[in-house]
Amino acid sequence: MKYKLNRRTLLKGTLGGTALSFGLPPLDLFFNSNGNAYANGDALPKRFGIFYWGNGNLPEKWNPVDQGENWTPSEQLAPLADVKDKLAVITGTAVKIGNTVPHHSGTAGILSGAPLEAISTDDFIYRAPTIDQIIANEIGGETRFRSIEVCVQKNPGVSQSGPNQPKPPEWSPKALFDRIFSDGFQLPGDDPIIDPRLSLRRSVLDAVSTDITRLKQRVGSADRERLDKHFEGIRDLERRLQKLEEDPPNLEACAFPMTPLDEYPKIDGRLPMQEVSRAMADILAMALACDQTRVFSNSFSFPVNNVLYDGLPAGHHRLTHDEQGDQPLVNSIVKLIMAELNYFLKTLGSVQEGDTTLLDNCAVLCTSDVSFGRLHQLDDFPIIIAGSAGGAIKSGFHYRSSSGENASHVCFSLARAMGLSISEFGLEAGLVNSGLSALDI
Amino acid sequence: MAIPIAWSLCFACSQEKETETEPVVPPPIQITPFTVDPAEGVIRRLTQSQYKNTIRDIFGPEIVIAGSLEPDFAVSGLLTVGASQSTISSWGVEQYERISYKLAEQILSNEGIRASLVPCTNSANFDEQCVKTFITDLGLLLWRRPVSNDELSELIALAENATNVLGDIDGGLAYPLASMLQSPNFLFRVELGRAEGTYNDFEMAQRLSFFLWNTTPDAKLLQAASDGLLSTDAGLEAQIDRMLVSEKAKEGVANFFIEWFELERLDDMVKDPNIFVHFNSELGDNAKEETLRVIEDHIFAQDADYRDLFTRTETYINRRLAALYEVRAPAKEGFAKFSFQRSHGRRGIIGHTSLLSLHSHAVASSATLRGKFIRQTLLCGVVPPPPVNVDTALPEPSGTAITLRQRINEHSQNPTCSFCHLMVDPIGLGLENFDGIGRFRTKEGGVTIDPSGTLDKVYFKDAWELAEVIRNHPQLPSCFVKNIYQYATGNVASKGELGQINALTQMFQNGQFKVKSLIKDIAMSEGFRKVKEASK
Repeated sequence: MKYKLNRRTLLKGTLGGTALSFGLPPLDLFFNSNGNAYANGDALPKRFGIFYWGNGNLPEKWNPVDQGENWTPSEQLAPLADVKDKLAVITGTAVKIGNTVPHHSGTAGILSGAPLEAISTDDFIYRAPTIDQIIANEIGGETRFRSIEVCVQKNPGVSQSGPNQPKPPEWSPKALFDRIFSDGFQLPGDDPIIDPRLSLRRSVLDAVSTDITRLKQRVGSADRERLDKHFEGIRDLERRLQKLEEDPPNLEACAFPMTPLDEYPKIDGRLPMQEVSRAMADILAMALACDQTRVFSNSFSFPVNNVLYDGLPAGHHRLTHDEQGDQPLVNSIVKLIMAELNYFLKTLGSVQEGDTTLLDNCAVLCTSDVSFGRLHQLDDFPIIIAGSAGGAIKSGFHYRSSSGENASHVCFSLARAMGLSISEFGLEAGLVNSGLSALDI
Repeated sequence: MAIPIAWSLCFACSQEKETETEPVVPPPIQITPFTVDPAEGVIRRLTQSQYKNTIRDIFGPEIVIAGSLEPDFAVSGLLTVGASQSTISSWGVEQYERISYKLAEQILSNEGIRASLVPCTNSANFDEQCVKTFITDLGLLLWRRPVSNDELSELIALAENATNVLGDIDGGLAYPLASMLQSPNFLFRVELGRAEGTYNDFEMAQRLSFFLWNTTPDAKLLQAASDGLLSTDAGLEAQIDRMLVSEKAKEGVANFFIEWFELERLDDMVKDPNIFVHFNSELGDNAKEETLRVIEDHIFAQDADYRDLFTRTETYINRRLAALYEVRAPAKEGFAKFSFQRSHGRRGIIGHTSLLSLHSHAVASSATLRGKFIRQTLLCGVVPPPPVNVDTALPEPSGTAITLRQRINEHSQNPTCSFCHLMVDPIGLGLENFDGIGRFRTKEGGVTIDPSGTLDKVYFKDAWELAEVIRNHPQLPSCFVKNIYQYATGNVASKGELGQINALTQMFQNGQFKVKSLIKDIAMSEGFRKVKEASK
């Protein structure tokens, strides 16, 4: 962990200590005596995230043999040993929607529960928003950013807020850092920003909103929806500016993350995936700890990606199809990705929030586009839920569905755990109207 | 679309033509009558390159766009068509906002640029007339239409308020400027048409400009729109002629090919340098430049037959490309003309490292990807996606199957695979003399490569001959017309436009497949000028 606790941060801790007359250590000032809520009674926020990687797993090396709380990590899950007790490993469920666009159907199936509208071989449209955006729509209004999307391999991302509405991820750690921690960010205890230009910027956004409204009256129904998205973005930005004029959230664990490098150049044509991934993980953890957002997605790599990993003779996707036997090279890539997931989850786990950790207050859906990549399989789908959303779902076990339950049940459970009162999730063969009982409290 | 009979005749005779004689010009074919059921009026988001070109052309090349723009996506293989469906995410709103203030800051602090836009000096007093002129003039450029009175007074109010708060006019002007730059009237091309079912003059101005130049209309075009000239055939033709001889037309046509051939993927192409020792980070840029130079020369300098793009031997290379192609390097730094010979094994743009590398894997060539590019992109053939739950692995090289062809042959015994793979692989195998970055080779794993094959029953011995077969393929011109038509209109062509596309293809043939004439024909066509009211 590389948090830069600068002098300013430490000083603030001391200033907060003016309340020391109550005889409490400063750390506890922020929380109630049970350590499960802020001192003012507000519940600790729940966060939702996606950790997504492309090209699947090797089910035989992924699925643990034993179920329940005392499960033994399998070969591909062994890199997650540090956070094993915070995981719900779900195997044996299936993405039920039609596998019409190999790889991408699986992504749409698990994240949106809906089949893709296939235009041609390479063109397809999501018919429904992805689960993170459904959740962000409900709970994202509280924070400076409704949601944050990042990636490691530079790729178009997996979050969609509706048909033809992709949410482009930040691929540069520096750009992500600047966006969250440079442009007007304030640490807890800082005074709100008083700058007349903020209100001028908001009046510009009002004028732009008027332009959108006027234009909307002239266009067809499809374009009205597109303009609604634009309008929504303007509203989000207005809220973001407004937040800067308010007191920043009072969170003890919030600090500046380490400033990332300006660039992570390729070495011999290979992107340093580990370095980028860890820089992103550090920034994302602090963005959550500082309550700048409560929803995120990290598309570590894309379906069909051909990332050349260190020392490997071919790209990832190519190996999944061409490597013979039990695919030791593909196996090594999956383990490497799980090691990076482990780093991220451990980072979340090291942020203390009262007597829980940030990881406890998260639910991170970790998944891919297929199970066995070679055959583009959608059954026995790889799913891990990290964290328990503050105890709203069960955690610390391996559950294997013996009946090939619909994987959409998982997202249903997650949406409920995040406080959404949905009655169904998904479309057509992906549609469900209940959660996965193994997860539900 | 049905292929006119005349083509197959033409196809047959050019097959026989082996020696270089004067090309026989076939008699013009009759244009099949058609009616146009036009596309609905929509709004189109500026693509990244359109946004950048617009800012450059309005404010000057020294102005920097400091930030990322909302990403584009392709529909029917074209970003410009995708722009009729894409929207602006909240991330994009944030980027456009930040960029708009950075642009305003640069524009107002640059004395020369400021003087050309603001008719008064900076002072603490709000000067309404000055601000009004600034917004009216710049509004026309940025929104590609006159600013309405309501809009004008709102923008003036922004300026006045900001001037009072910040203490001077220049501070104040930044806000209406930023507002115009964030407005949907700037970020979207609004092309909704008017009651009589055609685009209005200002809509036509931007349609022409983005089609021919991939940038915003210039002052002359806006003046022509304002004078109502773009609703007349003569006025329209005059502008098209003017625009086609402008340098900007070269950039516009280049952009079509960049989108259609996905040449921007060359910018961050990944190849394994352990396998391809000639690969380096500049190769992608050089490869792109070669292909774009050839296309520009072919269409603008030579005004040559589109089909000859696939057989022309003349290219432009620099020293790095010369090393890759193993030919004599130019005497000076930079690009120079070079002509391939039969012994080099390659000709036409299919022989460029750009297209050969793009349609390869990071570690090897791919007959399937190359064949798919030719079949699907160049010839508009439909290649279904691989079925799911099948093992798509090729066998590893073995004692009996060493070359890619041998391995594919073993593999294609499986009828599930062979149905589709036969549509693409035999074409791609014709390019097996080129490795994953397009370097010539005669052997793979010590075994001599067999690059022969057939494309729709026409035999070719190797890539040199394949070039001729592609050049003479009856679908080549019609596929090009369909793509550039969709690029021009910004829509996926509807059934109601097929007659128009067919007629344009016939005109293309009658005009000896000259691209510039085709562009003009498209810009003059009903399909480009008519529009239907959008369903609400």
